Parts: sequence; C-alpha cells; structure tokens
Amino acid sequence: MNNILLKNMLLSTSQLNIFRTTKDEKKKRKIEGAWVGMTVIYLMIIVYSFLSCIGFGGIGLIDIAPMICAMTISGLAFIFTIFRTNGYLFNFKEYDMIMSLPFGEMEVVVSRFVYMYIKCLPWYLSVSLSMLVGYIIYAEFSLISIVMWIVLTIFVPLIPMVVATFLGFCVAKISSGFKKRNIITTVLTFVVVAGSFGLNYAINKLFSDGMVRQTLENIYAVNEKMGQVYIPAKWFADAINNGNIVGALLLIGSSSALFVIVVYVIGKSYRKINSMLKSHAASGNYKMSRQKTRSVVQSIAYKEFRRLLGSSNYLVNATVGELLSLALGIAAWVIGFDGIIKFITNGAPVTTQMVAPSIPFIVYFLIGMVATTACSPSLEGKNYWIVQSLPIDKKVLYKGKMLFNMYLTVPFMTFAILSLCITGHMNVLNTVLDVILGIALCAFSTTWGCVCGVKHMRLDWENEIEVIKQGAAVMVYLFPNMIVTMILVVVMVLLGLVVNHLLITVVCILVVTLLAVLCYWRVMKLAEE
Amino acid sequence: MEQNKVLEIRHFSKSYGGAVKACDDVSLCVESGDIYGFIGHNGAGKSTTIRAAVGVLDFTEGDIYINGHSVKDEPMDCKRVTAYIPDNPDLYENLTGIQYLNFIADVFGIGAGDREARVKKYAEAFEITDALGDAINSYSHGMKQKLAIISALIHEPKLLVLDEPFVGLDPKATFTLKEIMHEMCENGTAIFFSTHVLDVAEKLCNKVAIIQKGHIIAAGTMEELTEGHSLEEAFLEVVSHE
Repeated sequence: MNNILLKNMLLSTSQLNIFRTTKDEKKKRKIEGAWVGMTVIYLMIIVYSFLSCIGFGGIGLIDIAPMICAMTISGLAFIFTIFRTNGYLFNFKEYDMIMSLPFGEMEVVVSRFVYMYIKCLPWYLSVSLSMLVGYIIYAEFSLISIVMWIVLTIFVPLIPMVVATFLGFCVAKISSGFKKRNIITTVLTFVVVAGSFGLNYAINKLFSDGMVRQTLENIYAVNEKMGQVYIPAKWFADAINNGNIVGALLLIGSSSALFVIVVYVIGKSYRKINSMLKSHAASGNYKMSRQKTRSVVQSIAYKEFRRLLGSSNYLVNATVGELLSLALGIAAWVIGFDGIIKFITNGAPVTTQMVAPSIPFIVYFLIGMVATTACSPSLEGKNYWIVQSLPIDKKVLYKGKMLFNMYLTVPFMTFAILSLCITGHMNVLNTVLDVILGIALCAFSTTWGCVCGVKHMRLDWENEIEVIKQGAAVMVYLFPNMIVTMILVVVMVLLGLVVNHLLITVVCILVVTLLAVLCYWRVMKLAEE
Repeated sequence: MEQNKVLEIRHFSKSYGGAVKACDDVSLCVESGDIYGFIGHNGAGKSTTIRAAVGVLDFTEGDIYINGHSVKDEPMDCKRVTAYIPDNPDLYENLTGIQYLNFIADVFGIGAGDREARVKKYAEAFEITDALGDAINSYSHGMKQKLAIISALIHEPKLLVLDEPFVGLDPKATFTLKEIMHEMCENGTAIFFSTHVLDVAEKLCNKVAIIQKGHIIAAGTMEELTEGHSLEEAFLEVVSHE
C-alpha cells in the first residue's frame, strides 16, 4: 500500500481539512452543521445497537450478541462497498492523474480499498462498540474477550468488503465491453444487490422454522446454525464467547488471504478495465435539424434527467427505491397483496385490511429513500459556473430540479399504490385518496430533499460518490425521513384498527401537503439568500 | 451612465481572506464595439476580475455595471445580455453537444428557427457539426472550447467575456474566432477577453488594460499604450517599472 496516496485521498476529502484551511465562514458553518447532523445519526445508531444488545441480555440471550454484531457489520460492509466500488475503485475522476504518477496498479487498488474501509470504519465501530458495552453489562466477560471484540471488529468487515469489491470488479469488467456501459453497470449492480437480498431472505427462511422456540431452548444451536450460514461470524462469536483463539486466527488469516488474492486479481486487469471505462465512443454523424424548445424549468429538468442517466453511481443510488416499488407493484399482480403480506411477515396474523391504510407509506418507504434533489445541487460541482453565469434565477434552478424528482417518483408511486390497492380489492375512493397521498408524499420528499440539498450544498467534491452516498445533505434527508416513515407505517396500521381509513388518509394528505408547502417555501427562501 | 458603456468596472477590489488583495481598486470601461484585451502575468487578477464581472464571483468592494445594470443588485439583467467562456470550460459531460446548446438556447428563450440557423452557422464555422450528436465526455479539450464558444454566441450577447479563449483551439478555429469577434464588434457587441498571447491581442484589440498584482497599471487604446512599439515591448516596459 502507498501511504502517500492514501494520506492524500483522505486529506483531499477530509471535511476537517477544509474546515481548518478555509477562510470562508459560511463554509465553516455548513461543515459544523454537517458534523452536528452526523453526530445525531451516529448517536441514533449507537443507541439502537446498545438497546438491541440490552434487549438480548434482558431475555437471557446475550451470547447471541457477538454473532448479531458480526452479521450486522458484515451486512453493512457489503452494502456500503457494493454501491461504492464503481466510483471509488473504477472510473474515478482523477484516474489519469493518479496513473500518470509513479504508483503501481496494486498500490492504487490497495490504497483505494483501504480508503473505502477507513471511511466506513466509524460506522462499523459505532455498531460494534455500543454492542460491546451491552455485552459487558450482561455477559460473564474477561478482559481478553473485550480485547478480542475490539481487535476482531477491525477484521470482520474485510471479507464482505472484499467480496463486494470483487463483485463490483466483475460488474465493471463485464460492462466495460459495452457501449452503453452506464446502463449495463446499473443493471448488473441491481442484479447483484437483488441476489444479495434474495440470499438474505433465504437465510432468514432457514431460521424462520421454529426460530423462537429453538432460540429459547438452546441458544447454542441458533449460534451454530447462523455460524453455518456465515462462518466468519461464527469465528468472531467463538472467539468472544469461548475465548477461541483458533477462531480469531481463522478470521484474521482468511480475511487477509482473501484480500491479497482479490487485490492481485483486480490489479492484474485494473488499467485495462479503467481504460475501457474511461473511453467514450463517438459516432460523429450528426445532421443538423429543427430543435425542440422547452421552458427553462423543463430544460433544467431534462438536464437533470441526462445527468442521472450519465452516471451509473447516481443512477444506481437514485433509482433503487423506484425499482423496488416497481418490483412491489409487479409482485402484487403476480402473487397478490395477500401474498406480499405473507411473504414479508412470514405468515404472521396480519390481514390486508390491517395493512391497507399504510399502503402509501409502505411505497414511500422505498421511493422516499432517495430524493435526487438532496444531491443534485451539489452534483453541479465544477459545472456550477454555467448556471451562475446564465440568467437563471436560483428559484427557477431549484424548481427545475424539483420538477425532475417529481417526474421520476410520481409514476412509480402511482403504479405501486394502484397495484396494491387494486389487488387488495380496495374501493375506488380509498384508492384515489391513497394515490393523492402518495403524490403528496412525493412532493414532500422532493421539497424536503431540496431543502437539505441546498442547505448542505457542497461543490468542491473530488468524487461524485461523496455527495451521492455520503454527503451531509443525503444523510440529513435520509435518516429522519426513513425513521419517521417506518413509525408512520406502524401508526397507520394501529390507527386503522380504531379510526376510519378514509379519515386517516384525508388527514395525512392535509398534513403531508402542508409539510411539502412549507419545505417548498423554505427552498424559495434559501434561493433568495 | 452613457449608453455605449457596456461593461464598466469601478474601484473593484477582491480579497480571498488573506492579507493580499487579488484585485485592488480595478477600474476600466468597455464600450460597444470595443475589443478590449486584458493582459497580465499568471495570478495577476485577470480571472478574478472576469469572474466577478460575469456574476460568478461574489464581491463587496466596488461596483460593476453591465449595460447600465449593477452586477450586484440586478444580476439577472446583466446576465441576460452577457456571454462568458471560462479558461477551462467544465461543461455538462453527460449531455450531447446539441443538447447542451439547446439548454443554453432554452435559457435565453431562442426560438426553434433562430437556434437552428445560429447553431448551424457557428457549428459549421468551427467544424463540429458532425460531433454535436455525441456526448460531451467524448470531446477533446479543443472541441469543448469550441462548443462553449458556440453556446456563448447563439444568444447574440451585447457583452462577450472570454478568459483565455485561444488556449486549446486549433489554428483554423483561432482564425474563425477572431473573424467572429471582428464581425460581432462591427455589430456593436463589446468584447472583453484575457490573454497571454500578446501578438493576438495587438492585432485584435482596439483597447488594452495591463494588470499586475491586482492593480491596473496601464489602460487605454492600443495606440496610447504602445506608442509605436510592439505590445510585447510596451508590456515588458510597463511591468518592469512597477
């Protein structure tokens, strides 16, 4: 690994470095705001992890905590890495500059992998260390088990990260041979993610039969079963619960060996893949013809559409909710609304009528995961001079960005809600009101995303992933939105048992519309500032 | 303000937070039909002045007027009549050339007929018509520069501001741009551009300003500045005395 390269990457993307070196007070305030937001998110994760561990301890299942901890970190590491490989490892902006310097291909690969690892490590540590505290409270622990826990936490994310990196490498290698490589990359990434979720579901099914009974009867049997599915988690749990040094050594050894093998394989064809990914085919046969005119807002919305299609990183991350809602809608027609409920709840006694009031929120949980408006102001990046020097009022610019997010979300929202309502045999009035609520939620997602996007706009990024996946705007948008939506799904189900469905929906439409209007007003105010 | 003053910079100063000002008390005036050259060493303050003039860079000291409108107070009125081409134009890489030009045309409300005629005229002049259907990310630096120039010309601005416009252009495109600049100047457009190529400035400009360490150290008509010498000699003479 090349320390200079790694240090430079960390420094060039460090908010602390920007904070220390900038003389722009406004920028400093923005960074401070982002830090506060991130602290809140970390606190939420820490509290959740700690409380879940307390929960296990409270019912006498504290020995399962290390296994759950390892599985959680592994899952997070896999998902974080699979969405970042294309962008950090391949097809990154400064590739030409880096490769023109005296760095070996392996050095570049290792540095960028370690960079991804270091950037995500605080997430893994916040889960692990808070669970460790819960573990210490309930388990008969020794100092060695605490040391093991901390040391092995550093190794637990490695295997899933290496696997995700290898899959990302395969995606990049396959798509580099196609002309429309952005589309191919996006499709393949979704296939990998869908495959991972499918595998996750299959694993869950393995445990669903008699899980609770088995757990209560014999915690060690459950540990064994989980360990069979994902052996590195068993090594981690064995090392913590039983002080098994062999398990610890196996985890460290296999992680390191796999890392070396994958880095070697990627390094061998790294230059070739990047060269292909960075080359652009040109047909050079354009014939001048009459052009279509658009309004300025529509023109900006169209520009946003092209921006989305032009980047597989952006496309994958921004459309994941829309594609999941599309899959949900199609699934409703194939297996019916009842079938979906049975599939999700694993046969729990939940009826269509109980879930019906929360349909718009269920779909919104998917579609509202990402709003393009949260990252599109920052994505202007070095192109910002264009809109700055053109006679485009900032209000018009943001209206264009919001219009595009509505174009993107409303059709998917409408399709999914209609599919669920129709297959759930809901009456016309309920269906219409649910669709209206869905559209109101799209408007809220759009405007709230834009508030976050404008308030935490960051133009000086090196890699677009910095603002698409880990930007302050996206974080501030995502977490409260997702948590509130999850709570609302449950509240709607419970309220539906005692209050009329229509009444709840009408009240929700009014509240959500009011929130959307308030956010829109805030965007316009921010534009004036 | 007199009607023929298209760009007027009055006592403009800009500091980036350090003790040294990037620009200090810069004043100059570009009138309708002028081709005004702005020359100076690297880091002298040319780009800072230009970026402030076109509304990209915020500033607090001094005033800049375009066509009688204040850049600070009436930025939209200024931008409607201005076209700007930066030294290294970062364009929307995911749009095709024609999509980018359509975007600019939409912003300036150019009708379908006019935009077709203008795009055709300038794309043929710069020989990039065939490439207009390709994504900008497939363009070379020079092609991006040409596209940026076309996007600046299609809305027929009253003020054309260019930062090092000849960098990256091939000889034919350089010649074409100079011809277009002359044509626009005859039609009353004011052109303000920075350059390091003093030969080009000498042949093209009727007025020149020299900036050094953020200060305008000489400004006036080409004849006033050169006094029978070459611009290169005059420039070296002026900067060596500062």
